[in-house]
Amino acid sequence: MFLIGFLYLASQSVKKIIEINPYMLGTMAGGAADCQFWHRNLGIKCRLHELANKRRISVSGASKLLANMLYSYRGMGLSVGTMIAGWDETGPGLYYVDNEGGRLKGDRFSVGSGSPYAYGVLDSGYKFDMSVEEASELARRSIYHATFRDGASGGVASVYHVGPNGWTKLSGDDVGELHYHYYPVPPAIAEQVMEEAAAE
Amino acid sequence: MSIFEYNGSAVVAMGGKNCFAIASDRRLGVQLQTIATDFQRISKIHDRVFIGLSGLATDVQTLYQRLVFRHKLYQLREERDMKPETFASLVSAILYEKRFGPYLCQPVIAGLGEDDKPFICTMDSIGAKELAKDFVVSGTASESLYGACEAMYKPDMEAEELFETISQALLSSVDRDCLSGWGGHVYVVTPTEIKERILKGRMD
Repeated sequence: MFLIGFLYLASQSVKKIIEINPYMLGTMAGGAADCQFWHRNLGIKCRLHELANKRRISVSGASKLLANMLYSYRGMGLSVGTMIAGWDETGPGLYYVDNEGGRLKGDRFSVGSGSPYAYGVLDSGYKFDMSVEEASELARRSIYHATFRDGASGGVASVYHVGPNGWTKLSGDDVGELHYHYYPVPPAIAEQVMEEAAAE
Repeated sequence: MSIFEYNGSAVVAMGGKNCFAIASDRRLGVQLQTIATDFQRISKIHDRVFIGLSGLATDVQTLYQRLVFRHKLYQLREERDMKPETFASLVSAILYEKRFGPYLCQPVIAGLGEDDKPFICTMDSIGAKELAKDFVVSGTASESLYGACEAMYKPDMEAEELFETISQALLSSVDRDCLSGWGGHVYVVTPTEIKERILKGRMD
C-alpha cells in the first residue's frame, strides 16, 4: 500500500522489495523516494566496489555503506527503514538499517507501521532450521496479519528467497484474496427454504 | 489526525424508485490499528427510517441511543412512527443543542416518506441539513464516495440494481481509504421489505 498525504491510498501495487543487484535485496519502508534513491545509490556503490576490488561486496559491507551514508544525513528528515538481505562468502546475511544510521545484524526483522503485528506471527512461528516452503509461508502469513490489523499496510504480499545463486521471487499474492484463503467464509446455511408446492 | 478520523468510517445512502439503500463499512479502528471488523454504523429507527452515523464511534453509539429514546417517546405520544423529514429535523435540533461541544458525528438519514417516496439527507456535526434527491455520503472516505457515486448513480433504479450500484460505489471508495473498509453492510428498503446484506470486501 502506498500512501500520499498520509491517508489517501495512491497505489496497491508498489514494488517494496528493491533489487540492488542479482544477489542482494533491499526492502522499502518509510519514505518511498528516499528508499528508492538510496537503494539505487547503494547498488552503484556495490558495483564500484566490485570493479575496484575484483570481487563482490559482502552483505555486511553493503549495509555499512548504506548506514554510514544515512548517518551523514541524520537530522535532515530522511525517512528510511530498510532491511538488506543477501548472500556472500560467509553465507546468508540480513541487516536492518534506518535513517538514524542504526545498523543491526539479525536472523529476522520486521519494519514499518505494521511491524508489531508481523512480529507477533513471525516470532511465534520462527525456527532457525525451517525449510524454504515453511519460511515463505510464515513470511506470507506475517505480512497478511499486518495488513489486516494495520490501516497503512496492504495490497500485495511479495515473497523473495535469497540463496547462494542470488534471489528469486517466490510469490506475490493479493492480501484481499489471502484473507479469504486463510479464513474462508462458511456458506450460509438457510434456516428455512421456500419450495414450490407440488401441483395438485 | 483530526478527531473525525480517529475511528474511520464510510456511510452512503442512495435513493431509487420507491426504495432506498443505505450502506456503511464495518471497520472500527484506533487511528491506524484495526480493532473490530463488525461495527454497526447503521441503525433502524423504525421500518421506514434508517440512520447511518459516521465519525467518532462513541458518539455514534450514544447519539443512536438518544435518538431511539426520543423516537419511542414520540411513538407513545403520537401513536404512530415519525416521518423521515420530521426525524431529520429532530436530529438537526439535537445536534445544534450541543453547538459549543458537539457530537463528533455526521449522520446520514434515509427513509421512505408518504407515497413511498425515498427521502435521503445528511448533516454536519452541528446539524446543518443537506437534502438530496440522488445520494449522500459521509465519513473519512467521503471524497472517494462522492466520485464513485457520481459516476455510478442513475435515477429511478429498482431495488436490485440499487443494491449493486451502492455496493460497488462503497467497496471501490473504501479501497482508497486506509481508515475504512474491512467489509460492507448494506440495507435496501422497499415498502414491503427490508433486505440486509453483508459485503465481502478487502480486509486490508
